[in-house]
Amino acid sequence: MLPRGDPRQGDGNLEPFEVFRQEREGEPMRHGGSVVAPDPTLALHYARELYARRGESLRLWVVRRADIVELDDQDLLNPPLDRSYKKPGGFVMRDKLARARERTGQSKRTASPGRPAPADDQAGSP
Amino acid sequence: MIARARLPRDRERDLEKATSELLLALADDDFVLGFADSEWTGIAPYLEEDVAMSSMAQDELGHAAAYYGLLADLSAGDPDRIAYDRPADAFRHCRLVDHGRGDWARTMARRWLYDSANAVRLEALAGSANRPLADLVVKVRREETYHLLHGEAWLERLARHHGEPHRRLAEALELVGPDAPSVLAPLPSEALLVDAGIQPLPGAELLTRWSARIEPVLGRLGLDLPAAAPAALDPRTARSGHGAAFTWLWTEFSSVRALDPRATW
Repeated sequence: MLPRGDPRQGDGNLEPFEVFRQEREGEPMRHGGSVVAPDPTLALHYARELYARRGESLRLWVVRRADIVELDDQDLLNPPLDRSYKKPGGFVMRDKLARARERTGQSKRTASPGRPAPADDQAGSP
Repeated sequence: MIARARLPRDRERDLEKATSELLLALADDDFVLGFADSEWTGIAPYLEEDVAMSSMAQDELGHAAAYYGLLADLSAGDPDRIAYDRPADAFRHCRLVDHGRGDWARTMARRWLYDSANAVRLEALAGSANRPLADLVVKVRREETYHLLHGEAWLERLARHHGEPHRRLAEALELVGPDAPSVLAPLPSEALLVDAGIQPLPGAELLTRWSARIEPVLGRLGLDLPAAAPAALDPRTARSGHGAAFTWLWTEFSSVRALDPRATW
Protein backbone atom coordinates (compact mmCIF):
# COMPACT_ATOMS: atom_id res chain seq x y z
CA MET A 1 0.00 0.00 0.00
CA LEU A 2 1.21 3.47 -0.77
CA PRO A 3 1.56 5.79 2.19
CA ARG A 4 -0.94 8.62 2.39
CA GLY A 5 1.66 11.13 3.38
CA ASP A 6 5.26 11.16 4.38
CA PRO A 7 6.69 13.03 7.35
CA ARG A 8 9.85 13.65 5.35
CA GLN A 9 8.29 15.43 2.39
CA GLY A 10 10.76 17.27 0.23
CA ASP A 11 11.13 20.99 -0.29
CA GLY A 12 9.08 20.89 -3.49
CA ASN A 13 12.02 20.55 -5.85
CA LEU A 14 12.45 17.47 -7.98
CA GLU A 15 15.09 15.05 -6.78
CA PRO A 16 16.23 11.58 -7.88
CA PHE A 17 15.02 8.36 -6.26
CA GLU A 18 16.48 4.93 -7.00
CA VAL A 19 14.06 2.10 -7.72
CA PHE A 20 14.71 -1.55 -6.85
CA ARG A 21 12.37 -4.28 -8.02
CA GLN A 22 11.69 -7.92 -7.33
CA GLU A 23 10.46 -9.94 -10.27
CA ARG A 24 9.52 -13.18 -8.53
CA GLU A 25 9.02 -14.30 -4.95
CA GLY A 26 12.34 -15.32 -3.43
CA GLU A 27 14.46 -13.39 -5.91
CA PRO A 28 16.72 -10.59 -4.76
CA MET A 29 15.76 -6.94 -5.16
CA ARG A 30 17.59 -5.67 -8.21
CA HIS A 31 18.23 -2.09 -9.25
CA GLY A 32 15.66 -1.17 -11.91
CA GLY A 33 16.48 2.47 -12.57
CA SER A 34 15.51 5.81 -11.16
CA VAL A 35 12.74 8.41 -11.15
CA VAL A 36 12.69 12.07 -10.27
CA ALA A 37 9.92 13.25 -7.98
CA PRO A 38 9.23 16.09 -5.55
CA ASP A 39 8.64 13.73 -2.59
CA PRO A 40 8.64 10.04 -1.58
CA THR A 41 4.88 9.63 -2.05
CA LEU A 42 4.89 10.73 -5.67
CA ALA A 43 8.18 8.85 -6.20
CA LEU A 44 6.33 5.63 -5.29
CA HIS A 45 3.51 6.46 -7.70
CA TYR A 46 6.00 7.06 -10.50
CA ALA A 47 7.97 3.92 -9.67
CA ARG A 48 4.73 1.94 -9.89
CA GLU A 49 3.85 3.45 -13.26
CA LEU A 50 7.37 3.15 -14.72
CA TYR A 51 8.51 -0.21 -13.31
CA ALA A 52 5.33 -2.14 -12.56
CA ARG A 53 2.46 -1.03 -14.75
CA ARG A 54 2.75 -4.07 -17.02
CA GLY A 55 2.77 -6.52 -14.13
CA GLU A 56 6.56 -6.99 -14.24
CA SER A 57 7.29 -6.43 -10.54
CA LEU A 58 6.15 -8.12 -7.33
CA ARG A 59 7.70 -5.57 -5.03
CA LEU A 60 9.37 -2.17 -5.32
CA TRP A 61 11.78 -0.35 -3.05
CA VAL A 62 12.18 3.37 -3.61
CA VAL A 63 15.13 5.10 -2.00
CA ARG A 64 16.03 8.77 -2.02
CA ARG A 65 19.36 8.92 -3.81
CA ALA A 66 20.61 11.38 -1.18
CA ASP A 67 20.00 8.69 1.48
CA ILE A 68 22.37 6.21 -0.16
CA VAL A 69 25.79 5.92 1.48
CA GLU A 70 28.25 5.67 -1.36
CA LEU A 71 31.82 4.45 -1.51
CA ASP A 72 33.70 4.96 -4.73
CA ASP A 73 37.22 5.66 -3.43
CA GLN A 74 39.48 3.55 -5.63
CA ASP A 75 42.25 3.62 -3.01
CA LEU A 76 39.90 1.55 -0.86
CA LEU A 77 38.18 -0.52 -3.51
CA ASN A 78 41.14 -1.27 -5.80
CA PRO A 79 44.31 -0.57 -3.83
CA PRO A 80 47.50 -0.24 -5.84
CA LEU A 81 49.45 -2.83 -3.83
CA ASP A 82 49.55 -6.53 -4.60
CA ARG A 83 46.59 -8.18 -2.94
CA SER A 84 46.79 -11.62 -4.46
CA TYR A 85 47.27 -13.03 -0.95
CA LYS A 86 43.63 -12.14 -0.21
CA LYS A 87 42.42 -14.33 -3.05
CA PRO A 88 41.81 -18.05 -2.63
CA GLY A 89 43.61 -19.05 -5.85
CA GLY A 90 46.43 -21.57 -5.45
CA PHE A 91 44.67 -23.85 -3.00
CA VAL A 92 44.20 -27.22 -4.71
CA MET A 93 40.95 -28.62 -3.43
CA ARG A 94 40.59 -31.79 -5.50
CA ASP A 95 42.62 -34.17 -3.34
CA LYS A 96 41.20 -32.75 -0.12
CA LEU A 97 37.65 -33.24 -1.38
CA ALA A 98 38.33 -36.79 -2.56
CA ARG A 99 39.71 -37.70 0.87
CA ALA A 100 36.72 -36.11 2.59
CA ARG A 101 34.33 -38.11 0.39
CA GLU A 102 36.14 -41.33 1.16
CA ARG A 103 35.89 -40.58 4.84
CA THR A 104 32.13 -39.98 4.73
CA GLY A 105 31.44 -42.80 2.24
CA GLN A 106 29.90 -40.37 -0.25
CA SER A 107 30.60 -40.71 -3.93
CA LYS A 108 30.59 -37.63 -6.16
CA ARG A 109 27.29 -38.66 -7.73
CA THR A 110 25.41 -39.08 -4.46
CA ALA A 111 26.22 -35.62 -3.22
CA SER A 112 23.06 -34.31 -1.61
CA PRO A 113 20.48 -33.54 -4.32
CA GLY A 114 19.29 -30.04 -4.98
CA ARG A 115 22.56 -28.46 -3.98
CA PRO A 116 25.29 -27.58 -6.41
CA ALA A 117 28.22 -30.00 -6.24
CA PRO A 118 31.36 -28.36 -4.84
CA ALA A 119 33.89 -27.21 -7.37
CA ASP A 120 36.18 -30.08 -8.17
CA ASP A 121 39.50 -28.51 -8.84
CA GLN A 122 40.52 -25.12 -7.65
CA ALA A 123 38.24 -23.05 -5.56
CA GLY A 124 38.02 -19.35 -6.24
CA SER A 125 39.18 -17.43 -9.22
CA PRO A 126 42.51 -17.90 -10.94
CA MET B 1 -58.47 6.43 -11.17
CA ILE B 2 -56.59 3.23 -10.55
CA ALA B 3 -53.18 2.83 -12.17
CA ARG B 4 -52.82 -0.30 -14.21
CA ALA B 5 -50.81 -2.88 -12.26
CA ARG B 6 -47.40 -3.35 -13.87
CA LEU B 7 -46.92 -6.82 -15.25
CA PRO B 8 -43.70 -8.58 -14.13
CA ARG B 9 -42.50 -8.51 -17.73
CA ASP B 10 -42.87 -4.73 -17.87
CA ARG B 11 -40.90 -4.46 -14.67
CA GLU B 12 -38.16 -6.63 -16.06
CA ARG B 13 -37.92 -4.43 -19.11
CA ASP B 14 -37.89 -1.26 -17.03
CA LEU B 15 -35.17 -2.69 -14.82
CA GLU B 16 -33.05 -3.60 -17.81
CA LYS B 17 -33.42 -0.07 -19.12
CA ALA B 18 -32.46 1.35 -15.72
CA THR B 19 -29.44 -0.95 -15.49
CA SER B 20 -28.33 0.24 -18.93
CA GLU B 21 -28.68 3.82 -17.71
CA LEU B 22 -26.42 3.08 -14.73
CA LEU B 23 -23.82 1.26 -16.83
CA LEU B 24 -23.79 4.06 -19.39
CA ALA B 25 -23.25 6.68 -16.66
CA LEU B 26 -20.34 4.69 -15.19
CA ALA B 27 -18.82 4.04 -18.62
CA ASP B 28 -19.19 7.57 -19.97
CA ASP B 29 -17.74 9.13 -16.80
CA ASP B 30 -14.53 7.09 -17.06
CA PHE B 31 -14.38 7.34 -20.86
CA VAL B 32 -14.69 11.13 -21.02
CA LEU B 33 -12.41 11.75 -18.03
CA GLY B 34 -9.85 9.35 -19.52
CA PHE B 35 -9.82 11.26 -22.79
CA ALA B 36 -9.77 14.67 -21.07
CA ASP B 37 -6.79 13.67 -18.89
CA SER B 38 -4.96 12.08 -21.81
CA GLU B 39 -4.74 15.61 -23.23
CA TRP B 40 -1.74 16.00 -20.88
CA THR B 41 0.29 13.35 -22.65
CA GLY B 42 3.53 15.02 -23.70
CA ILE B 43 2.92 18.27 -21.81
CA ALA B 44 2.57 17.23 -18.15
CA PRO B 45 4.83 19.12 -15.68
CA TYR B 46 7.68 16.59 -15.93
CA LEU B 47 8.43 13.23 -17.53
CA GLU B 48 7.50 10.94 -14.64
CA GLU B 49 4.19 12.72 -14.11
CA ASP B 50 3.56 12.56 -17.85
CA VAL B 51 3.94 8.77 -17.82
CA ALA B 52 1.85 8.40 -14.65
CA MET B 53 -0.93 10.69 -15.87
CA SER B 54 -1.08 9.03 -19.29
CA SER B 55 -1.14 5.59 -17.70
CA MET B 56 -3.97 6.55 -15.37
CA ALA B 57 -5.93 8.09 -18.24
CA GLN B 58 -5.46 4.77 -20.03
CA ASP B 59 -6.73 2.93 -16.91
CA GLU B 60 -9.93 4.99 -17.13
CA LEU B 61 -10.44 4.00 -20.76
CA GLY B 62 -9.90 0.39 -19.66
CA HIS B 63 -12.59 0.71 -17.01
CA ALA B 64 -14.92 2.34 -19.54
CA ALA B 65 -14.29 -0.51 -22.03
CA ALA B 66 -15.29 -3.02 -19.35
CA TYR B 67 -18.52 -1.14 -18.50
CA TYR B 68 -19.36 -0.74 -22.21
CA GLY B 69 -18.77 -4.49 -22.50
CA LEU B 70 -21.42 -5.19 -19.83
CA LEU B 71 -23.75 -2.78 -21.57
CA ALA B 72 -23.15 -4.49 -24.90
CA ASP B 73 -23.92 -7.88 -23.32
CA LEU B 74 -27.23 -6.48 -22.12
CA SER B 75 -28.23 -5.00 -25.46
CA ALA B 76 -26.47 -7.42 -27.82
CA GLY B 77 -24.50 -4.42 -29.06
CA ASP B 78 -20.87 -3.60 -29.82
CA PRO B 79 -18.79 -1.77 -27.16
CA ASP B 80 -16.87 0.22 -29.80
CA ARG B 81 -20.07 1.39 -31.43
CA ILE B 82 -21.50 2.47 -28.08
CA ALA B 83 -18.29 4.35 -27.27
CA TYR B 84 -17.59 6.02 -30.61
CA ASP B 85 -20.72 6.11 -32.75
CA ARG B 86 -23.00 8.18 -30.55
CA PRO B 87 -23.68 11.88 -31.09
CA ALA B 88 -22.24 14.17 -28.42
CA ASP B 89 -25.63 14.81 -26.83
CA ALA B 90 -26.23 11.07 -26.27
CA PHE B 91 -23.36 10.89 -23.78
CA ARG B 92 -24.41 10.50 -20.15
CA HIS B 93 -21.28 11.53 -18.25
CA CYS B 94 -21.66 13.90 -15.32
CA ARG B 95 -21.24 17.67 -15.47
CA LEU B 96 -17.97 17.54 -13.54
CA VAL B 97 -16.16 15.96 -16.51
CA ASP B 98 -17.69 18.48 -18.92
CA HIS B 99 -15.11 21.10 -17.94
CA GLY B 100 -12.07 21.50 -20.14
CA ARG B 101 -8.85 20.31 -18.56
CA GLY B 102 -7.65 23.88 -17.86
CA ASP B 103 -4.34 24.21 -16.04
CA TRP B 104 -2.67 21.49 -13.96
CA ALA B 105 -4.40 22.66 -10.77
CA ARG B 106 -7.82 22.36 -12.40
CA THR B 107 -7.04 18.91 -13.77
CA MET B 108 -5.84 17.74 -10.35
CA ALA B 109 -8.75 19.34 -8.48
CA ARG B 110 -11.19 17.65 -10.84
CA ARG B 111 -9.38 14.33 -10.61
CA TRP B 112 -9.47 14.36 -6.83
CA LEU B 113 -13.14 15.38 -6.71
CA TYR B 114 -14.04 12.70 -9.23
CA ASP B 115 -11.92 9.95 -7.70
CA SER B 116 -13.17 10.63 -4.17
CA ALA B 117 -16.83 10.62 -5.30
CA ASN B 118 -16.27 7.60 -7.55
CA ALA B 119 -14.70 5.71 -4.63
CA VAL B 120 -17.91 6.17 -2.61
CA ARG B 121 -20.04 5.09 -5.56
CA LEU B 122 -17.93 2.00 -6.31
CA GLU B 123 -17.80 1.00 -2.66
CA ALA B 124 -21.60 0.76 -2.74
CA LEU B 125 -21.76 -0.92 -6.16
CA ALA B 126 -19.39 -3.67 -5.02
CA GLY B 127 -22.50 -5.02 -3.26
CA SER B 128 -24.75 -4.72 -6.33
CA ALA B 129 -27.36 -7.42 -6.96
CA ASN B 130 -26.14 -7.37 -10.58
CA ARG B 131 -23.32 -9.91 -10.25
CA PRO B 132 -21.34 -9.05 -13.41
CA LEU B 133 -21.31 -5.40 -12.33
CA ALA B 134 -20.35 -6.22 -8.72
CA ASP B 135 -17.51 -8.50 -9.89
CA LEU B 136 -16.18 -5.81 -12.24
CA VAL B 137 -16.40 -3.07 -9.63
CA VAL B 138 -14.28 -5.11 -7.20
CA LYS B 139 -11.48 -5.11 -9.79
CA VAL B 140 -11.90 -1.47 -10.81
CA ARG B 141 -11.70 -0.34 -7.18
CA ARG B 142 -8.24 -1.85 -6.78
CA GLU B 143 -6.91 0.50 -9.48
CA GLU B 144 -8.98 3.49 -8.46
CA THR B 145 -7.48 3.40 -4.97
CA TYR B 146 -4.14 4.47 -6.45
CA HIS B 147 -5.70 7.14 -8.62
CA LEU B 148 -7.28 8.66 -5.54
CA LEU B 149 -3.99 8.58 -3.61
CA HIS B 150 -2.19 10.21 -6.54
CA GLY B 151 -4.82 12.96 -6.76
CA GLU B 152 -4.70 13.50 -3.03
CA ALA B 153 -0.89 13.74 -3.08
CA TRP B 154 -1.18 16.52 -5.68
CA LEU B 155 -3.99 18.28 -3.83
CA GLU B 156 -1.75 18.40 -0.74
CA ARG B 157 1.25 19.64 -2.66
CA LEU B 158 -0.66 22.42 -4.38
CA ALA B 159 -2.57 23.43 -1.25
CA ARG B 160 0.48 23.55 1.02
CA HIS B 161 2.54 25.72 -1.31
CA HIS B 162 1.25 29.18 -0.69
CA GLY B 163 1.18 31.75 -3.42
CA GLU B 164 0.50 30.66 -6.97
CA PRO B 165 -0.07 26.89 -6.43
CA HIS B 166 -2.61 27.44 -3.64
CA ARG B 167 -4.28 30.30 -5.52
CA ARG B 168 -4.68 28.27 -8.71
CA LEU B 169 -6.07 25.32 -6.77
CA ALA B 170 -8.59 27.51 -4.98
CA GLU B 171 -9.69 29.00 -8.32
CA ALA B 172 -10.05 25.51 -9.78
CA LEU B 173 -12.23 24.35 -6.89
CA GLU B 174 -14.32 27.50 -7.26
CA LEU B 175 -14.89 26.68 -10.94
CA VAL B 176 -15.42 22.89 -11.00
CA GLY B 177 -16.48 22.36 -7.36
CA PRO B 178 -20.17 23.25 -7.83
CA ASP B 179 -20.44 20.46 -10.43
CA ALA B 180 -18.65 17.81 -8.35
CA PRO B 181 -21.85 16.35 -6.80
CA SER B 182 -23.06 15.46 -10.32
CA VAL B 183 -20.97 12.25 -10.06
CA LEU B 184 -23.33 10.97 -7.36
CA ALA B 185 -26.57 12.74 -8.31
CA PRO B 186 -29.53 10.35 -8.57
CA LEU B 187 -30.19 8.85 -12.00
CA PRO B 188 -33.70 9.33 -13.39
CA SER B 189 -34.44 5.64 -12.73
CA GLU B 190 -32.76 5.51 -9.34
CA ALA B 191 -35.82 4.36 -7.36
CA LEU B 192 -36.08 1.23 -9.48
CA LEU B 193 -32.34 0.47 -9.24
CA VAL B 194 -32.27 0.90 -5.47
CA ASP B 195 -35.42 -1.18 -5.02
CA ALA B 196 -33.86 -4.04 -7.00
CA GLY B 197 -30.55 -3.78 -5.13
CA ILE B 198 -28.67 -3.07 -8.36
CA GLN B 199 -27.63 0.26 -6.91
CA PRO B 200 -27.49 -0.57 -3.19
CA LEU B 201 -27.56 3.05 -1.97
CA PRO B 202 -29.45 6.12 -3.24
CA GLY B 203 -27.56 9.17 -4.48
CA ALA B 204 -28.52 11.22 -1.44
CA GLU B 205 -26.81 8.71 0.88
CA LEU B 206 -23.73 8.57 -1.39
CA LEU B 207 -23.48 12.37 -1.31
CA THR B 208 -23.62 12.39 2.51
CA ARG B 209 -20.87 9.77 2.71
CA TRP B 210 -18.72 11.62 0.17
CA SER B 211 -19.02 14.93 2.08
CA ALA B 212 -18.02 13.18 5.32
CA ARG B 213 -14.98 11.80 3.54
CA ILE B 214 -13.71 14.95 1.81
CA GLU B 215 -14.53 17.63 4.38
CA PRO B 216 -11.70 16.69 6.78
CA VAL B 217 -9.21 16.76 3.88
CA LEU B 218 -10.41 20.16 2.67
CA GLY B 219 -10.41 21.51 6.24
CA ARG B 220 -6.87 20.27 6.91
CA LEU B 221 -5.62 21.96 3.72
CA GLY B 222 -7.53 25.20 4.23
CA LEU B 223 -9.62 24.74 1.08
CA ASP B 224 -13.26 25.53 0.39
CA LEU B 225 -15.67 23.63 -1.79
CA PRO B 226 -18.49 25.88 -3.03
CA ALA B 227 -22.12 24.78 -2.66
CA ALA B 228 -23.51 22.39 -5.28
CA ALA B 229 -24.96 23.90 -8.44
CA PRO B 230 -28.68 23.00 -8.59
CA ALA B 231 -28.15 21.53 -12.07
CA ALA B 232 -25.51 19.17 -10.68
CA LEU B 233 -28.01 17.54 -8.32
CA ASP B 234 -31.04 17.41 -10.62
CA PRO B 235 -31.47 13.97 -12.27
CA ARG B 236 -32.65 15.72 -15.46
CA THR B 237 -29.57 17.93 -15.85
CA ALA B 238 -26.69 16.25 -13.98
CA ARG B 239 -25.75 14.21 -17.05
CA SER B 240 -26.93 16.19 -20.05
CA GLY B 241 -26.47 19.54 -21.81
CA HIS B 242 -22.74 19.04 -22.10
CA GLY B 243 -21.51 22.33 -23.58
CA ALA B 244 -18.71 23.53 -25.84
CA ALA B 245 -15.69 21.98 -24.08
CA PHE B 246 -17.18 18.52 -24.42
CA THR B 247 -18.24 19.07 -28.03
CA TRP B 248 -14.60 19.86 -28.81
CA LEU B 249 -13.36 16.77 -26.94
CA TRP B 250 -16.00 14.58 -28.63
CA THR B 251 -14.89 15.82 -32.06
CA GLU B 252 -11.30 14.93 -31.10
CA PHE B 253 -11.92 11.42 -29.78
CA SER B 254 -14.35 10.42 -32.52
CA SER B 255 -12.33 11.99 -35.38
CA VAL B 256 -10.27 8.95 -36.39
CA ARG B 257 -13.27 6.63 -36.47
CA ALA B 258 -15.27 9.26 -38.36
CA LEU B 259 -12.68 9.20 -41.17
CA ASP B 260 -14.03 5.84 -42.27
CA PRO B 261 -16.92 4.51 -40.18
CA ARG B 262 -16.90 1.15 -41.97
CA ALA B 263 -13.20 0.45 -41.56
CA THR B 264 -12.13 -2.67 -39.67
CA TRP B 265 -9.61 -1.84 -36.94
